Amino acid sequence: MKDITLGQYYPSDSFTHKMDARVKLVLVVAFIVAVFLAKNFLSYIAVAACVICATLVSRIPISKMLKSIKAIIMILIFTGILNLMFYNGETVYWSWWRFNVSLEGIIFSVKMVLRLVLLVMGTTLLTFTTTPTGITDGMESLMSPLKYIKVPVHDIAVIMSIALRFIPILSEEVDKIMMAQKARGASFDTGGLVSRAKALLPILIPLFVSAFRRADELALALDARCYNATPNRTRYQVMKFGWRDLAGVIGTAVFIVLVVALNNNFWGAYQSVEAAWWLFAV
Amino acid sequence: MQIKAENLNYVYSPKTPFEKTALDNVSFTVNEGDTLGIVGATGSGKSTLTRHLNALIRIQSGKIFLGDVDLSAKRVDLKEVRKKVGMLFQFPEYQLFADTVKKDVEFGPKNFGFGDKEAACAAEDALRSVGLDIKEIGDKSPFELSGGQMRRVAIAGVIASKPEVLVLDEPTAGLDPVGKREILSLVSELKKSFVKTVIIVSHNMDEIAEYCNRVIVLDNGKLIADTTPDELFNRSDVVDNTELDYPHTVKIKRMLSEFGFEIDSPALNVEALVSGILGRLKS
Ligand SMILES: Nc1ncnc2c1ncn2[C@@H]1O[C@H](COP(=O)(O)OP(=O)(O)OP(=O)(O)O)[C@@H](O)[C@H]1O
Ligand SMILES: [Mg+2]
Repeated sequence: MKDITLGQYYPSDSFTHKMDARVKLVLVVAFIVAVFLAKNFLSYIAVAACVICATLVSRIPISKMLKSIKAIIMILIFTGILNLMFYNGETVYWSWWRFNVSLEGIIFSVKMVLRLVLLVMGTTLLTFTTTPTGITDGMESLMSPLKYIKVPVHDIAVIMSIALRFIPILSEEVDKIMMAQKARGASFDTGGLVSRAKALLPILIPLFVSAFRRADELALALDARCYNATPNRTRYQVMKFGWRDLAGVIGTAVFIVLVVALNNNFWGAYQSVEAAWWLFAV
Repeated sequence: MQIKAENLNYVYSPKTPFEKTALDNVSFTVNEGDTLGIVGATGSGKSTLTRHLNALIRIQSGKIFLGDVDLSAKRVDLKEVRKKVGMLFQFPEYQLFADTVKKDVEFGPKNFGFGDKEAACAAEDALRSVGLDIKEIGDKSPFELSGGQMRRVAIAGVIASKPEVLVLDEPTAGLDPVGKREILSLVSELKKSFVKTVIIVSHNMDEIAEYCNRVIVLDNGKLIADTTPDELFNRSDVVDNTELDYPHTVKIKRMLSEFGFEIDSPALNVEALVSGILGRLKS
């Protein structure tokens, strides 16, 4: 894989990188549930603390994380503004035509944006620390009970991993074709929309031709090796539930319990403290 | 037109775990009329270097001058540069896209501002020089041709815009011996007309020895030799110290000399070797 950041795998040998892909998948799902469970700001802070801890143990540079958030910045702005404008709150500060900006609206849209940011951080952490192959293997293993209701889990996994494997190959191919056409004077970033779209033809056609050729070759190669998805294939890398995975599960569980507790003001334990009460309320 | 590269450096994916230095302070000059060979192990930076020459890769540090055009300047007329420096990639047949052969070959000339008539003429000439007849295949789809014909059409598509410098990145990879010879003799043929300078990247030392008058050797992104084939293969130890190989003719010459049969010809092609042996036998 060259400069393509699909799957964005960030090589390192941190704690999280060494965890079992299946466990990471489950934990990410649990994390997503936690994000949606969070109701007040304190529980959001708990979720954020969870993802920050995970980032620290994964030794992913903060700049990398910020970049993945930057990728959705437009969505964030859009969500923020829409929620701000259309929320029907009571304490209205400013209104014009159908738009009302209210205290409740501000709180709500901040929460929505926060929620998106946390979701992106959690899921990219998975792709930063797990190779695409790891993710497909993990999914295959998690879905394997479905075999009993005749879902071709292994075939699906093979298709997925081939598709993933081919993305960098095709992107390299695009690079090469683009260079060859540029060398013949093609330019892809000038002119109006129509001429730009037309300029893509000299790339797309060779790309499709080569994709089909590669697919044919791959099918032949699989056949030539008598490949078939027999039920008892063994694996090159066996996945194992280790101490890191246990630690990860316990850590995430603690945070989820914390989120639920904060959502419910620790079941009234802190109601007497004025400032804390306000934080729980919003 | 002289090509001059000064202190070129290039790093892929800088500041990431994938960081890879592909060129490390490379400087050389190619004079008009030269046929320059670029050799080196795989991954030594040959393709990276050649892609600098027509601004497919922007210079990170260092300078390149094409004649008096400075490629490291802020604004470079890319079309002018790419018209002057034509580039043929490995497996060029994969760049065919148009619905007819004629349109595909005209693609380059038209991009470089040739008029309709001019482009048609250029296409016809280019197809003729690669041994194809425009009347016969001009209206066919490039995808119904044989592999060999496809490659020729692709080559025609590059030379149709009449570049002054032709850069070939492993032009003969994946061809049979006859095909290899055909391509290289086509290149020598072109060098008699509008192409003034040729730069060939190759792993095949026989080709380098036979066709080039100068060679540069890259090793891990560094330029470790800038000489003539004679110097490289007969009078230096560069080949022994890298993963390069000798041309077959030079190998034969060296074997003979192990048996005490010394030849004083450089033996860079078969004729030279044979006449060297014959000369030695006569004397
Ligand atoms: N797009 C890219 N992204 C990252 N690294 C790259 C890229 N292209 C090449 N490299 C790396 O740069 C180095 C030089 O590559 P280059 O293609 O120039 O070598 P080469 O001498 O042409 O090799 P070959 O003889 O195999 O064609 C290699 O180590 C390669 O892995
Ligand atoms: Mg190369």
